[in-house]
Amino acid sequence: MNRPTVTTDSAWQFPTPEITTLGNGLTLWYFAMPNQHMTSFNLMLPAPLAGEPASLEGVGTLALNASDEGTLRHPDGEITELLELQGATLSGTARFHYTTFGGTAPSTHLADTLPLFLEVLRQPAFAEQDITHHIEALTASFDSRLASPEASNRMAMRVALFGGDHREGRPAAGTPSTLLAITPDDVRAWHSAHFRPEGATLLVAGATAPDDSIRLLESWLGAPELKPDDSPADRQHPSVVVVDRPEAVQAVISVGLRTPTRTDPRWAGLRIAGHAIAGAFASRLNLELRERLGYTYGVGGGIAPGLREGLLTIGGSVRTEVAGDSVARILDGLRLDAPLTDAEVDDARAYLVAVAPLANETSSDITAQACALAAAGLDPSFLNEHFAALTRVTASEATAAWREVVRPEQLTVAVTGDAEKLTPALTALGLTPQVVDLRSWS
Amino acid sequence: MTQPPLTFDLASTRLDNGLEVIVAPDADAPGVAVNLWVEVGSADEVEGRTGFAHLFEHLMFQGSENVASGEHMATVEAMGGTVNATTSTDRTNYFETVPRGGLELALWLEADRFASLAITPENFEAQRQVVKEEKRQRYDNQPYGDLLELLVAQHFPAEHPYGHLTIGSMAHLDDAALDDVAGFFRSWYRAANTSLVLCGPVTPDEGVALADRYFGALPQLPATPRNLAGSVATLAPQTTTVVRAVPHSLSYLSWDLPIASHPDMTALDLALMILADGPSSRLHKSLVRTGSAAHEIHGAALTHRSAASIATILGRPTEDTSTEHLAAAIFSELDRFIQDGPTGSELARAKAQSESDDLWGLATTTGRADAINEYRQLYGSPASINDHLSDVAEVTAEDVARAAAQWLRPNNAHQLHYLAEDAR
Repeated sequence: MNRPTVTTDSAWQFPTPEITTLGNGLTLWYFAMPNQHMTSFNLMLPAPLAGEPASLEGVGTLALNASDEGTLRHPDGEITELLELQGATLSGTARFHYTTFGGTAPSTHLADTLPLFLEVLRQPAFAEQDITHHIEALTASFDSRLASPEASNRMAMRVALFGGDHREGRPAAGTPSTLLAITPDDVRAWHSAHFRPEGATLLVAGATAPDDSIRLLESWLGAPELKPDDSPADRQHPSVVVVDRPEAVQAVISVGLRTPTRTDPRWAGLRIAGHAIAGAFASRLNLELRERLGYTYGVGGGIAPGLREGLLTIGGSVRTEVAGDSVARILDGLRLDAPLTDAEVDDARAYLVAVAPLANETSSDITAQACALAAAGLDPSFLNEHFAALTRVTASEATAAWREVVRPEQLTVAVTGDAEKLTPALTALGLTPQVVDLRSWS
Repeated sequence: MTQPPLTFDLASTRLDNGLEVIVAPDADAPGVAVNLWVEVGSADEVEGRTGFAHLFEHLMFQGSENVASGEHMATVEAMGGTVNATTSTDRTNYFETVPRGGLELALWLEADRFASLAITPENFEAQRQVVKEEKRQRYDNQPYGDLLELLVAQHFPAEHPYGHLTIGSMAHLDDAALDDVAGFFRSWYRAANTSLVLCGPVTPDEGVALADRYFGALPQLPATPRNLAGSVATLAPQTTTVVRAVPHSLSYLSWDLPIASHPDMTALDLALMILADGPSSRLHKSLVRTGSAAHEIHGAALTHRSAASIATILGRPTEDTSTEHLAAAIFSELDRFIQDGPTGSELARAKAQSESDDLWGLATTTGRADAINEYRQLYGSPASINDHLSDVAEVTAEDVARAAAQWLRPNNAHQLHYLAEDAR
């Protein structure tokens, strides 16, 4: 049987939302998705963790996690039960530059869910026992992340890239010493200062438009009290850090670098190069370390966009005995001595463009993507321009973009595993590993 | 509760060689999901070869007559598709979702490996190492990484089909040989042991014609019967205590449940949600919210097709509560639940959450295609996917109480006390 050829479908476009600016300064983006039985809604609040008092870090996350435990009108878990009865769930994430808070509900229940969501946004009770419960939960979660090889590796990478003196270098959800200092009044103060409609964007995607709730949304008033300084951290010297897990059978390796982001003219080239080098299953690094050498279950990563900067993270878990060789091979691969070929770039481009409709299939996919754009101050049409840019990138442009941005001498390496074995292996590569102790935050 | 909001049109047929083909047309979907279930899993492994079904799944990406090693994944990615495979106790699934224009190539890639798998010694050895790294990454190098293995060992003797993990043991992975591959392929990877679901912008006529074009030449061989049910008894309830270098101690309680397709399973899923899912669940309210015994409580069900499934309730005790005390507190709440049943509000909330979970599971063509194959395997008919929402809606409080009384009695619980070496 002959190998069939692929016929190309017409170019897919990121959906265009209906955009409404309400009288209270809240912007609403609605994406009509008639076939989605579950609706997703997500509020992008300009509430940056950069504004958290250093001694109370984690207060921004607590304000999210504790808010749906009870409201003034429906205290002590009543609001949670009302949301559950709609099949709705809420969740949020507080980030260095902004906070998102939203949820999902069956499209048929959106009109009954949004008023409950608004009640949570406007009048959380923040009862003492709920704050105490969530402080304990975040403290336990910190301990769990310290114990996790992957999470502790990410923690070490952040502090190496952004510095322990900068908010972005420290754990987003706080550390035990800061969490245990937080009182319900601190949480209320953070909420009152930042949970305001002016400058926020509410994104809704699903089969049902939020028309019934517009008047209610407009009755929510106020502007954020503060505009915290969320300027990026100074560049840190590249380093090689080791998180010690004595007798660990694997080493978690990551290589990191702060990079340009979406607005850089090289962005499309960087995305394509990242996919070809590490992102794809058939990437150079995965084929070598997994398929040829059997060192790892998989190597992956690439460059992710951020609000002002992007972040390169590439790595995987390998058995301890081959950790040194794996780091050497990953660093070699990132040097891109052999330029990307036309075939590699064509495959990466084809993937990044053609996978978009699948990657944006659900209502949550759309609101998550749109939220990131809204936070960056970009129009939803940005993605379509990005797809067009991807189609124009040549192999030499992608290679040049990567070599300009991913300078080998600028890369930071973090390895989590048995330091007694890893330190000599890394030293043998000519690196200068330092063992870092993340428990100092406990 | 709303009425079940959706029904899927399904067309199913069986090719002459025994391959079942199910087409779920969805003209507006962004791609076509191709989903193959092979009726073989870790429960079918022979003594001394645990982990082989999963290792074999890896080998299916290592090349066939017209496809080079790794080319299957690379080709699907390069057409903008997603692709993977997984192995469980009861089945191995292979799936990709591709733009409509790539459907024929996806089917050709699948059919080529089902017709002519070709493994070299080098590829075999590399994948053995990859799978060992997968085991280290998922289990051996993780805190609490042996929790599942301990749970399974409480319920099943080692010789039971479900008495070992799908990932297998390092020793057995080391013992696996290239010579085992051809026999496993011949025994299990038959058209009559396989079902193909196509979900997306493809009509039933198109889908069946394409399946026949690409898979019709697979040989006609009888289905290989699985030999699982009832041969080895499960173990009596037992208590196990281990000490590990983990951040928190846990009480891990578990019960034998019926097989996955048993009518009580719907009520039992709701019972577990009411008891232990989320901040308004019974156990959270009584033991976490009050701060009396636990910091967190979660419930789950591990389903099996042919012998006991397992229900679990996991609790993380407060600093001044022992895991035994937490277990006793959970049992006491459970007794009350069995006695009184759920309240109307508890049942309504659990049903609403269950409906949302189902709708999410069906929101992508990838998820829907896999769910259709799962319903086909469990209930014998793919169309039973259309009954699940109404089955949930019809469960009564009495059904939940009766199912809990039958299956979740405290004196039938296994207890695993997983103690932190240095509790904070």
